[in-house]
Amino acid sequence: MPGPRSMRLVESALRCYPQRWRSRHGDEAAEIARLLIRDGTPAHSVAWSYLMGAARTRLVTGSRRRAGAAVGALLVAVASLGVPLALLSSSAPANAASVAHSRGAHPRPAHPRYGASRCGDSRPADPRYGGWRGGPDRCDRHDHG
Amino acid sequence: MAARERDDTGGQDMLRRAGDASVLILTSLADGSKHGYALIQDIRGFAGLQLGPGTLYGALDRLERMGLIEALPAEDRRQPYQITAAGVAALRAHLDSIERVTRAGRLRLGLGAI
Repeated sequence: MPGPRSMRLVESALRCYPQRWRSRHGDEAAEIARLLIRDGTPAHSVAWSYLMGAARTRLVTGSRRRAGAAVGALLVAVASLGVPLALLSSSAPANAASVAHSRGAHPRPAHPRYGASRCGDSRPADPRYGGWRGGPDRCDRHDHG
Repeated sequence: MAARERDDTGGQDMLRRAGDASVLILTSLADGSKHGYALIQDIRGFAGLQLGPGTLYGALDRLERMGLIEALPAEDRRQPYQITAAGVAALRAHLDSIERVTRAGRLRLGLGAI
């Protein structure tokens, strides 16, 4: 079973979804995360996928104002997860998305300086959670709109 | 007639803009209802692709809004989905469209018919 740190990371990403989504899918989403991590999918890859999904959900379902707030929250979350700003301006938007080949499709933690923290949490990142090397998430390679 | 494609099958290809994840999910549901984790496993099996869970839920919500799938009563924490008649029609139209493109591509590459 995945450790508590892994699940904390996933739960932080799940908290970024709207309340209505969480009340409908939250339990199952956490269960799927547990099973995927148990199968060998890196926890940060699962969390990243949920984080991007939360941003898309808020952009689709929210008003323009709320969507703007969601984008702001996402930027804060991405920054707190340790993704360099250079990535945002280059490859991340073009690669943000959905499907990846199952073999070797997961990025590895890179630098202990980059830690993950809860979405919107202002506390300093915890290096124990690891971080991203700085490349796009290959688990979410193709954008399906 | 470049960007505006025609559809000779009589049905509209609703999935053209819905994304690959939607097509994969409908294909997976074509042989019976499944819940989220079973969908991910099945798609990994037949397509060799790992669908991210965030992408999965986004596509499920979109397909449900389009009326192409419907949620069944939840079993414990798992929410199964099944394809609707409209989903079957949409998937068929999309596969026909892909088949036409595949046939043309193979012909032009000199690979012969499938």
